[in-house]
Amino acid sequence: MRHPLRVLALACALTLTPSCASLQLGSTTIENPLAAAQTMDQRAYALLHAYAAIVEEATDIVADPATPQAFKRALGQAERVATPAAETLQIAVSAYIRARSDFDAASGANQSVIQRAATALSVAAHRLNEAVAGAQAPIAELEGLVRARRG
Amino acid sequence: MLNLLLQLQLLLAALSAFLPLVPEEHRARAGEILDIVAKVLSAGGSIASNADDLAAKLVAVRAEVEAMATAKSAVSAEQLDAAMNRVRAASTGFRAALEAAETQ
Repeated sequence: MRHPLRVLALACALTLTPSCASLQLGSTTIENPLAAAQTMDQRAYALLHAYAAIVEEATDIVADPATPQAFKRALGQAERVATPAAETLQIAVSAYIRARSDFDAASGANQSVIQRAATALSVAAHRLNEAVAGAQAPIAELEGLVRARRG
Repeated sequence: MLNLLLQLQLLLAALSAFLPLVPEEHRARAGEILDIVAKVLSAGGSIASNADDLAAKLVAVRAEVEAMATAKSAVSAEQLDAAMNRVRAASTGFRAALEAAETQ
């Protein structure tokens, strides 16, 4: 090979071009499924699916022998915090769906039954809001690590 | 991105077809360069497809949620169970992969 440097430069350019093209640093095109939701249960649903997608990606990173051990441990710590938050979110959204169903079913009942169902729905909605807010930070932390690794 | 890579790979294949037209003394070197380019494109494609993977999954989730929002439909218990099952499966897979990586 007479021009190893030229070959190396071409190799670098060809390797980095697709990776750089997929880099979305500072871009607003990063998909945020939560932004499409219009109700609390839809937000929770979007957050759970987005979290699952992030963990699936994190699994590929951890399985990659080229990933440094310290980074794998950081991913592990972030996942151990985020998954319980997702479980709490699932419990809250289940309770909200039940309360909403009870409220709908109570529409033909007497005033006190409707009032009880409305109170229960309000409490469930408040808890769901808290659970969504509580899950967002740990999930965002894991997502940040995954994006940092993937570019 | 993957389309661009595919186009580059097709271009490379087309260039390879002209290899016999290259003068004898330079043919081996040209073949060597094309071989390196093919390997590099393949590696770059792998990196890009990983980056595209998460984006594609998030686009799919967003599309589903947008459809729900447009139809003004509420999340059913079954849909919620499916989402949580996906989280649990992903978490189990992740922890297994992490454990395997730590024992290596």
